[in-house]
Amino acid sequence: MTRAGNPRLVGYTTLAALGLLGALALRRPELAVVAAPFALVLAIGSRARHPQLDVAFEMDAERTLEDAEEIATVTVSAGRAVDRLELMVDLPPDVEVVDGGAARSMRLQAGEARGLYITLRCRRWGLYDVGTVRVRARDPWRLVTWEGRIEASHRLKAYPRPLTLRRLLAPVETQALAGSQVARTKGDGVEYADIRDFVPGDRVRSINWRASARRQGLVVNERHPERNADVVLFVDSFADVRDDDRSVLDDAVRAAAGLATKYLEHRDRVGLVAFGGVLRWLQPGMGSTQRYRLVETLLETGVEPTYTWRDVNVIPARTLPPASLVLALTPLVDPRFVAALEDLRGRRYDIAVVEVDPVPLVRPGQTEVERAAHRLWILEREVHRWRLETRGIGIATWGDDALDTVLEEVRTFRRYARAARV
Amino acid sequence: MPLGRGDDTFQQIDVRIAAVAFVALVAAIVQGWSWLVPAAIALVGGGYAIELALDDAPLDVAAPVVAAGLLLAAELAYWSLDERSHTIGDPGEGLRRAALVATGAAGALVVASALLALVDEVRGRGLALDLVGAVAAVAVVVTVIAGARSQPSKGA
Repeated sequence: MTRAGNPRLVGYTTLAALGLLGALALRRPELAVVAAPFALVLAIGSRARHPQLDVAFEMDAERTLEDAEEIATVTVSAGRAVDRLELMVDLPPDVEVVDGGAARSMRLQAGEARGLYITLRCRRWGLYDVGTVRVRARDPWRLVTWEGRIEASHRLKAYPRPLTLRRLLAPVETQALAGSQVARTKGDGVEYADIRDFVPGDRVRSINWRASARRQGLVVNERHPERNADVVLFVDSFADVRDDDRSVLDDAVRAAAGLATKYLEHRDRVGLVAFGGVLRWLQPGMGSTQRYRLVETLLETGVEPTYTWRDVNVIPARTLPPASLVLALTPLVDPRFVAALEDLRGRRYDIAVVEVDPVPLVRPGQTEVERAAHRLWILEREVHRWRLETRGIGIATWGDDALDTVLEEVRTFRRYARAARV
Repeated sequence: MPLGRGDDTFQQIDVRIAAVAFVALVAAIVQGWSWLVPAAIALVGGGYAIELALDDAPLDVAAPVVAAGLLLAAELAYWSLDERSHTIGDPGEGLRRAALVATGAAGALVVASALLALVDEVRGRGLALDLVGAVAAVAVVVTVIAGARSQPSKGA
């Protein structure tokens, strides 16, 4: 800790010196009498000793959700009595103290330990280093200050708040493992597909007796098997559009986390590609471990500005397995992301796009030129959307509606687009 | 207190000094300029010094009250500046601080009175100013040493 003098120390020293010098100059002892209390306070204050403080920041939770409250404890003990101890917990911009304040003051006796409970809340998902505490101890006469700083010791992971999703986008093709997606192929399953003539080797339990009676020959039921799917969440991190309350990248990450959780619950393999200035990827996997991996990779997602051209060739091949559903989340602001989607479509990937609407966050501007630029920007986005739709990519705009509604829109588009392609 | 004494000319000068000191103190508190607090106190003390210089009274018995008053004013002004940092304190912290400030002022009154009595006693023997001068010199040296010791130093 650093020892420093308070403004009082300089002030009282000045006053005492002036009084004593005035007494000498004017030969009036009353001025020395007036200066005496200031000198006495200085003499008492200069005897203040190092408080021997021990400060620790503790927090049980390592993971939390956006807007969820977590309790942190600041424990402080003093070897010597401290008349006023000020503790200021420095928090990252998106972490706030729910009750009370981040700055507290107290008085400690020698050997006394105190614990302060602070309820924290993360306003936004992300990784936060919390635990930076500034300490300031003062002597009773406030002449000397000991200041110290304990650096952040705790990393808090704030996960995106879960989204409610009732139905997911089904992929065109499924994989080999059992899952919850009804495959288009025929085999053992629950969903009825068709009937056909009996051939040796068919199981007796699959014989459709009513149809066999009508046809005067054995007929068996065919079914769709339930298989899992490979889903790759393709998050656009080229650009973010934000205002004070909302950010399209925040919304995209929330949606990605919600979709990943839901697909994993259906035993699908889920992977992630955050495509932008910095490429982040995670190969598809299953289970709760994969969920944590996905969310923690998402937490690191941020916009890193770059002007270099990037295409899908930089993505590791195993991150995009064949016949996987690529679910893109983008504000359709950067043409490089649109080109990447077109490229993937050209490689026969099944692609659906949720467009996180940035238009409400952008004001048209005051001047005619700014308004014209705003109109051009909107037209440019229309062109991006048209380019994707003409390639049979289902796209829906996510604004104020629930994500479920948006997915239904994409589902409807895919249904008709597929029929049109055939 | 100096305003209540002296002739009209002195009172007019002292009123102006007091007004300037008051404005300086208010500015210090409102703007958070701690360096203005001793300036304001020094102005009031300067007014008192002028009065003492013009007055031929042998020893002013009001000096302890002036000393306690100046210390009290300085303490209250610095306390006000300290409270600019918005911290949540223990219950009763303000009362405890007020009691400490009041005790300090009372202590200043007692110490100054004792010192004045001592000066009065010694002055009768003709050593007063020499003694005050010696005390002042020692006090200044002690203050400088204390100031040097208060330089930032790293601790545990």
